[in-house]
Amino acid sequence: MVGCLGPNGAGKTTLIRLLLGLIVPSHGRAEIFGRDSRRQAVAAHRRLAYVPGEANLWPTLSVAETLRLLGQVHGRVDQSYQQELIDRFSLDVTKRVRALSKGNRQKLILVAALMTRADLLILDEPTSGLDPLMEQAFRLCVNEAKQRGQSVLLSSHILSEVEALCDRIGILRAGVLVEMGTMAEMRHLSALTVEANFEGTVPDVTRVPGVSMVESQGSTLRCQVRGSVEPLLKVLASSGVLELLSREPSLEELFLSHYGSSAADVANVSATP
Amino acid sequence: MRAGVGWGVVFGLYVATQSLAYATSYKTMASRRLLVQQFGNNVGVSALVGPAKQIGTVPGYTAWKCLTVLAIIGAVWGILSSTKLTRGEEDVGHWELLLAGQVTRRSAARQALIGFAAGAIALFITASAITVVVGRPSKVGISAGGAIYFALAIVTGALMFLAVGAFCGQLSTSRRQAAGFASAILGASYAIRMVADSDAGLSWLRWATPLGWIEELQPLTTPRPFALVPIAALVGALAVATVYLAGRRDLGAGTLANRSSVRTIRRLPTRPLGLAFYLSRSTLLAWGASIVAYGLLLGSIAKSGGKIITSSPSLRQVFSRLGVSGAEAYLSVALLIMAVALTFVAVGQVSAARKEESSGQLDNLLARPFSRVAWITERILVGMVVLVCGGLLAGLATWVGAASDHASVSLSSMLGASLNVAVPALFLFGAGFLAFAVVPRLVSVVTYTLFVWFFLVEIMGGVVKVNHWILDLSAFHQMAAAPATPVAWTTNATMIAVTLAAASLGVALFRRRDLKGE
Repeated sequence: MVGCLGPNGAGKTTLIRLLLGLIVPSHGRAEIFGRDSRRQAVAAHRRLAYVPGEANLWPTLSVAETLRLLGQVHGRVDQSYQQELIDRFSLDVTKRVRALSKGNRQKLILVAALMTRADLLILDEPTSGLDPLMEQAFRLCVNEAKQRGQSVLLSSHILSEVEALCDRIGILRAGVLVEMGTMAEMRHLSALTVEANFEGTVPDVTRVPGVSMVESQGSTLRCQVRGSVEPLLKVLASSGVLELLSREPSLEELFLSHYGSSAADVANVSATP
Repeated sequence: MRAGVGWGVVFGLYVATQSLAYATSYKTMASRRLLVQQFGNNVGVSALVGPAKQIGTVPGYTAWKCLTVLAIIGAVWGILSSTKLTRGEEDVGHWELLLAGQVTRRSAARQALIGFAAGAIALFITASAITVVVGRPSKVGISAGGAIYFALAIVTGALMFLAVGAFCGQLSTSRRQAAGFASAILGASYAIRMVADSDAGLSWLRWATPLGWIEELQPLTTPRPFALVPIAALVGALAVATVYLAGRRDLGAGTLANRSSVRTIRRLPTRPLGLAFYLSRSTLLAWGASIVAYGLLLGSIAKSGGKIITSSPSLRQVFSRLGVSGAEAYLSVALLIMAVALTFVAVGQVSAARKEESSGQLDNLLARPFSRVAWITERILVGMVVLVCGGLLAGLATWVGAASDHASVSLSSMLGASLNVAVPALFLFGAGFLAFAVVPRLVSVVTYTLFVWFFLVEIMGGVVKVNHWILDLSAFHQMAAAPATPVAWTTNATMIAVTLAAASLGVALFRRRDLKGE
């Protein structure tokens, strides 16, 4: 299961539309299961299911009719699993799509994708509009799919979701993949977060080698350190440190370290739940 | 506003061509008297376009030929634009943005109505300016005041149905439904007016229909401005009701309850394309029914129609050279009208394909194992079948109508002519799909421009001398005047070949392009 992270406009949806052959690359090519994503799109699509970020369906059809149509176009549906999904997401199949809320439309399109049990699930911000209960149901379904051996590509800017679900994470920035690896690998490459409390004044650590992102508030110091921690420890020990806490960076911090340069991007990320 | 000016030009030019054509074709009093004899009391013609009063004069003839036709075209424009700008904008969520600001639902509705009034005024000013200019020469002889009053009468059709469309938009839950309601009202108005005009004893019924009020204005003959009272009252009442309902209902909902759930699963077509047609079945049925009804009606007055042509010196000259009877000549003109209607259906089919793409619905299909080539090819093939069937329906209905009038027209010649009718529509359809593949966001502009171009060149070509290169660029002009003249199968084959080439190129280019939203 691969997560694809990036702020709005980083190119997540463009990447997915390229993979699906909905848009044409100016150069280069992509393959899904060894099939060219554009020339052999139909063959590639037989083994995948896609959930768009926005559910643009036929407003006059009912939920049941939509599922039937999309199932027929896909060609293969696990009927009993479909019923299970409908129950799990508490979908009212008699409702017309026009009468559904955004969240309910999103549930419908999720069920339409999951019911195919496709080898690859491509999910583009699939949980937008879902309430926390439904988000939990979604996580359960994706974990089940993982266990059944289905591959998942999840694009999102909800960090907690990606952190909880994905084995590998890629970070997109302005259309370029800037980082790719497991959480452990990414943490290894990245800095350690250090938080320290002092008896007296907080020492100036900005000149210590390897230290960055220094923040001090009252008697508390917070910073990140890359490479050896020895130079920092020496400074801290000589300044009368009371408490010392060090931890690996969260995904949010990893993400921010890639986007930290732009204030607007930070605002984007901190606004997400 | 811009649309108002544009339609004003079309209306003005239509009035100009009709009045000038009459002034040049019926120069002598004798020829005019003959026309009056044939049409003055013809029930069929009267039911179709209104009673022929004072058609011995240019103003009288112009009023008779233009009033009902332009009032209906204006009404259709009014319905389409008012439902699009109110309900259509609401459907896609634009109103939500406005209303989240400091705009209330009522003031938004009021603003929209003021916009429509401005459009209608633009239409009125443009149409009356052209009519005043055209009316000035002594051979036409329409006074400036008469011309302005006439333009006002024409515009009332658009004005009333702009209001009807806006009102229906408040009742229903989608643009399609609103347009359906408003069209039903227009259809009923036309039907009542037909009954009222078919018998002198029923003429009081004219007061029961908006289209009848327009007729009662009697411009250019015996003006009765008090017929403006019910028109103004209707427009005012609908405007007030629209604003009132806009404030009462929820955004996105209609005043009339709408079923939001379906108990049983309908048997829907299994192919996506079948679905597209299933969803547009009511539109297609309405078109089919209108074509049949219009064909029957036009056919049922074939004989008297033929007599007009025989009585017009210039037309008789044209047709006698071809060695055909009046009825056949008349039917070829009737079928030309059908060809224009069918071309409009073709434009709608192309727009529907674009809408499926721009709304994002197509993504759901193409992200599944369903190829682009299959989608667009099916769309094109089924669209072509619809157009050919439409042509056959038009021809058959007209033949049945003509047979009931005992006009001597053979079924085989009408069948040939009905296939002929579909050719311009198919041509525009092919060109439309090429535009769809190359400039998807401009496809409506391209197809409507082509349509208006074909139409204008055709009506202008009938009156003024136009360079034959320009005439040749209109698909309607390429169409042979069947059944009066033999169908030009070679020209048709060439046009179909061009159509197929354009459509195939469209398929090939669509494979290679990005899917594009709005």
